[in-house]
Amino acid sequence: MEESRAQQAEVAALLGVIERMAADLALAEEPSRFIAALEAGRAAEGEASSP
Amino acid sequence: MTDWTVEGLATAIRAGKVSPVEATQECLARIGRLDGDLRAFISVDEAGALETARRLEGEQRRGAWRGPLHGVPLAFKDLCFIRGLPTSCGTKTAEYFIAERDCTAAARLIAAGAVPLGKLNMTELAMGPFGDNAHHGHARNPWRTGHCTGGSSSGSAVAVAAQLALGALGTDTGGSIRLPAAACGIVGLKPTYGRVSRAGVMPLSWSNDHVGPMARTVRDCALLLQVVAGRDPLDATSSAQPVPDYLASLGAGVAGLRVGVPENFFFQGVHPEMEAAVRKAAEVIAGLGAQVFEIRLPDPQTMSDVCNIVSRSEGSTIHVRLLRERPHEVQPVVRARLELGLQIPAYDYLQALRLRARLARAFITEVFAQVDVLVAPVIPEPAPPLAHATEGPVHELVARQGRFSRLTRPFNGLGLPALSVPCGFSSAGLPLAFQLVGRPFDEETVLRVGDAYQQATDWHTRRPALD
Repeated sequence: MEESRAQQAEVAALLGVIERMAADLALAEEPSRFIAALEAGRAAEGEASSP
Repeated sequence: MTDWTVEGLATAIRAGKVSPVEATQECLARIGRLDGDLRAFISVDEAGALETARRLEGEQRRGAWRGPLHGVPLAFKDLCFIRGLPTSCGTKTAEYFIAERDCTAAARLIAAGAVPLGKLNMTELAMGPFGDNAHHGHARNPWRTGHCTGGSSSGSAVAVAAQLALGALGTDTGGSIRLPAAACGIVGLKPTYGRVSRAGVMPLSWSNDHVGPMARTVRDCALLLQVVAGRDPLDATSSAQPVPDYLASLGAGVAGLRVGVPENFFFQGVHPEMEAAVRKAAEVIAGLGAQVFEIRLPDPQTMSDVCNIVSRSEGSTIHVRLLRERPHEVQPVVRARLELGLQIPAYDYLQALRLRARLARAFITEVFAQVDVLVAPVIPEPAPPLAHATEGPVHELVARQGRFSRLTRPFNGLGLPALSVPCGFSSAGLPLAFQLVGRPFDEETVLRVGDAYQQATDWHTRRPALD
């Protein structure tokens, strides 16, 4: 019983971030934009300082 | 010979000073002598390793060279599928994972001349940061055998730290390369998401899984990454970004590089000896000419939670059959984590994936406009005693796991390259470490800074007293 309660509490805590932050996601936001962010981050590398 | 670097041994073999068979025999002898206690390996392929070494030696005599690893003994985490060898993934089932093709990363290392010694111990299903495994025996930290190795790539770190293999492959979904590397005093690189193919590797979370090298020096990790990096048609998520010459960029120094030390999150609740060692490492890097300053990061806990939701959902989906058909075969903590993943609604999983995209974009834009790399602790404390991972109620063990991996997980969610580098020892003689985190696909810079640090210090030359 204790383990079950702990698990429910953990799920609730974990999903809290969705409650707090997902409401104002833009309609156009989709998972594939994560890869786009990585590729774009690489493209911006030229701005880095170098020795 | 087992104390040599990958690069040093490869050079010596090429020069004819030692042979692949001699190198392999020495590793196998050391495994035979020490691994009964250390439990780095799940399976040692003695006959296969010697056969490969003999074949390579024959090719050497004919002047034929496979590549930069010709004759170097390596070992692979037991979730890399290699035909002819069982792949337990740390479960009770010897052949838990069967892929259509050999693990691309391992196959590329073998094609470059590596001698595969066998398959390495790991946390069951790669779910857990401490390195304990009731099925195959808990891997033991070579520096203090009563302490955790870190996980889930426990055997990879132990084999390298104890000089049973010169290098290894690990995987990292929430810290599983960097945590054991840090706990065992070796170097471990989680490359950018997509940099190294995941084909032929047991998935835990296709959105957060990374394959990467583990070795005793940054230079060796660069050499191994060079071999395994790059697009693989068998893994749709592998990137077509060009692979630079990593070794060529080492030695360029760090003068002028901007290095950020997080002022939020990463030092909260961290053991004083760990904090002091990481800050001292940042001072060493500053002394080499880098500009080191504090930086406030977008809340890493948010990304950590998002990463957790995604990993739990995907891990439970992938391994649900084991959970439903043979739950009694799964260790209680792993079972609890799998069960939890099944309670996450599709709505939350999908929102987490959408949030991840936004958070990654914001983090990369904001942070890397100010710095070139970040320096932060990897583990919040030196490797804890094994009992910390194995004794107590399940919910408490799960909570301990979350605390131990909280400093690595954000960078899985962000997909950024992160390199764990040893930077000292605690008063109890356990390794301390920091991680260097860079821009997407900029492994070059994190390797360059890590190598410069190792050139200026000697922590990576220390060895545990095992003989």
